[in-house]
Amino acid sequence: MNYLLKAVSLGAVMAAGLATAEPSGTFRQAHDYGFGEKSSLDPSSPGRIQWITEKIMNRLVSPDLAGIPEADLATEWSANAEATEWTFKLREGVTFHDGSTLDAADVIYTFERILDPDGTSPARSALKMIESVSMVDDMTVKMSLNTPFADMPLQLMDYRMRIIPDGSGDMIGETGIGTGPFKVEKYEADGTTVLVANLDYYKGAPKLARMEIIAISEGQARIQAFLGGQTDMYRYVTAQERVLLDRSDKYNVQVIPTGNWRGLVFRTDVEPFTDARVRKAVRLAADRQEIVDLVYGGGAVVACDTPVEPNDQYRADLKCPQDIEQAKALLAEAGYPDGIDVDVHVSTLEPSWSNLAVVYQEQAAKAGIRVNVVQAPSDGYWNAIWMNKTVSATRWNERPADQALHEIYLSSARWNESFYKDEGFDTLLATARRELDFGKRKALYAKAQAHLLETAGTLIPIHVTKIVGVNARVKNVDAVKREAIRWHLIEVD
Amino acid sequence: MLRMLLRRCFLGAVTVAIVSAIIFLGVELLPGDACTAFLERDAKGQMLENCRKDFGLDRPALTRYFEWAGNALQGDLGMSASGRKSIAELVGHRMKNSLLLAAVSLSVGVPMAIFLGVITGLWRDRPIDLFFSTVAILAMTIPEFVSATVLILIFSVWLGWLPGIIVTSASAPASEFFPEILLPVFVLAMVMMAHILRMVRSSVIEVMAGDYIQMATLKGVPYWRIVFSHALPNALLPAINVVALTIAWLLGGVVVIEVVFNYPGLGRMMIDAISDRDLPVVQAIALIVASVYVGVNLTADILTMVANPRLRTLNMRGG
Repeated sequence: MNYLLKAVSLGAVMAAGLATAEPSGTFRQAHDYGFGEKSSLDPSSPGRIQWITEKIMNRLVSPDLAGIPEADLATEWSANAEATEWTFKLREGVTFHDGSTLDAADVIYTFERILDPDGTSPARSALKMIESVSMVDDMTVKMSLNTPFADMPLQLMDYRMRIIPDGSGDMIGETGIGTGPFKVEKYEADGTTVLVANLDYYKGAPKLARMEIIAISEGQARIQAFLGGQTDMYRYVTAQERVLLDRSDKYNVQVIPTGNWRGLVFRTDVEPFTDARVRKAVRLAADRQEIVDLVYGGGAVVACDTPVEPNDQYRADLKCPQDIEQAKALLAEAGYPDGIDVDVHVSTLEPSWSNLAVVYQEQAAKAGIRVNVVQAPSDGYWNAIWMNKTVSATRWNERPADQALHEIYLSSARWNESFYKDEGFDTLLATARRELDFGKRKALYAKAQAHLLETAGTLIPIHVTKIVGVNARVKNVDAVKREAIRWHLIEVD
Repeated sequence: MLRMLLRRCFLGAVTVAIVSAIIFLGVELLPGDACTAFLERDAKGQMLENCRKDFGLDRPALTRYFEWAGNALQGDLGMSASGRKSIAELVGHRMKNSLLLAAVSLSVGVPMAIFLGVITGLWRDRPIDLFFSTVAILAMTIPEFVSATVLILIFSVWLGWLPGIIVTSASAPASEFFPEILLPVFVLAMVMMAHILRMVRSSVIEVMAGDYIQMATLKGVPYWRIVFSHALPNALLPAINVVALTIAWLLGGVVVIEVVFNYPGLGRMMIDAISDRDLPVVQAIALIVASVYVGVNLTADILTMVANPRLRTLNMRGG
């Protein structure tokens, strides 16, 4: 009898052991359905649902856990001496969810589609340096650039540049065919999208059998769903909510520094901010550590007006303590001994803006900068307030160092929100892009950031730290940015 | 009777038309449109123009309004702003879900409310009346989103008995909404019961004090026979209107409840469409909701008239 029991239980254990080798369990996550009716599985469209595309598609190059470029669909890459031509060798034997095999045609199609001037892809601005993409052989592509660019692999880590099958553009928004660890079983943008394990994933079959990506447009409902155990991960935990999660053993908390920043933009083409001294004064007046503590409850890292994120290899080591005396002196020197009056426009679009403006108001008052906080409607904020009013709040999601500096500070940049025009700065960036030696390149980018700290019109006091809640039943979630999470390793009990 | 009926129907149609015009105007007045909402930071220059052209937003508002209204009269609600799905199809599932929520809430709430209303009315000022009346006032005054959040906290987060948020697809069959639907039903039933209960209670009290009830009592008719055959038929008449209002309220998309619980009904769809600036969808839902509201109230009025001859003649003279 005893033996029989043992045999049965042994069998059960073995069966269980076998079962864990198969993908099992369902992981649930909510998305905010932020693009509404225009939501799409097309990774480079304005309506892409990144919560889904990141699990079903791959890039040529993706960030490793430290954010450094790592081989993904491209196995190796090299540049010519001028850094104007980049060659990428593609991974052999990778198949798309529809069974077709990845080759150079798919990659060329993907990039030409993003670069199409008549297309709507917002990723195009990040690839402006590409002149053409061509085939070297079946498994090798070459990108010819119109400017030297030493950090091309970094640029290709962009979350929107996911490879789709040749010619699939008209359908990709619905089918979501990619090479990723999960494939789309049922797509429903405003409901529950079901993903199932892609057993042929080139890094190995996922541990999870299924993922459900659920549209919950209401922020409060999203956190409730997470607290109630209906979703497994919540990536927008606030400092206040964190206390709640820390007290319970039902959830684990991850703290992840990010490159997302919030700040105030002073237009450099409007009086009095045409004067670099005034711009420096308004930024010197900010006590950044106090902003971290008061506005973000400690969930942020001080930034010295650089958009480059704290953990980026190109982040300059800068100091920027509050200096009221110098701020006053600079204002007096610029012809404003009695200080200046500033209308700072904010809206509830970004929850922290109002607090940021009010704390800054207090700090700046000491330097004779009289801040009047103006609440603008969230509707049409980007259209009517930002880049229109003299001073407005801004927020950006992280970008590679070069991209951030180019997209927002270059004289000719489309999103030059502070209308910053500085030839010396433009030259620094151009030189850095050309420089293939990492050490020298790093020094040039650092110089560019130091230059911003002297002259920029944008006050960037902080980079936000992300607090992520994960249900305790979920294992092996990398405590890194979404960009780098290895989704195929996640398991659930 | 027929003339009055027609007149009521005509007035209803006019109401719906006015409502649709007001909604259209309201959405037009908002800063930003479908394109600025969609493109965000990209909403500048050529890209914005192209987008507006694609969505037909470059034409005058009046033209767009009449074109839409004309089609809607023929039953064609058009396509959503992105032009990918027909609104009739989108609205279909949502309508079904809102109906489901309304039906379950009503079937729980109305019988309970009437029962408790009669009890509290008959036992006026006794402990049982005081208890339920106080609870009713509380249920009426606490905003739905507060009671919803508190219930989610208790039953979903702390006790883990019921799912707090609905994660079922809009197109799923009704049976799949259980047990997720229970918490929203609970909240809705509570608010709804409070209103109906108070109405029925005061009506019962009024009727029980009437001359004919006293007459019946003097004649020696047993108490429960008086209640059931004399008092209740008269006391419940006014309740028809309250119930109708409640039905209209429920079918009109209980926006707050649907959003808080992520319930895929008309209300949530409306909110999503508004933040999308999806004008065609917003207008279509507004039209449907207004029609339902007017229709249900019309039906209730007619029912009341049929059941109460006095109202009928009164209205005849007036009209």
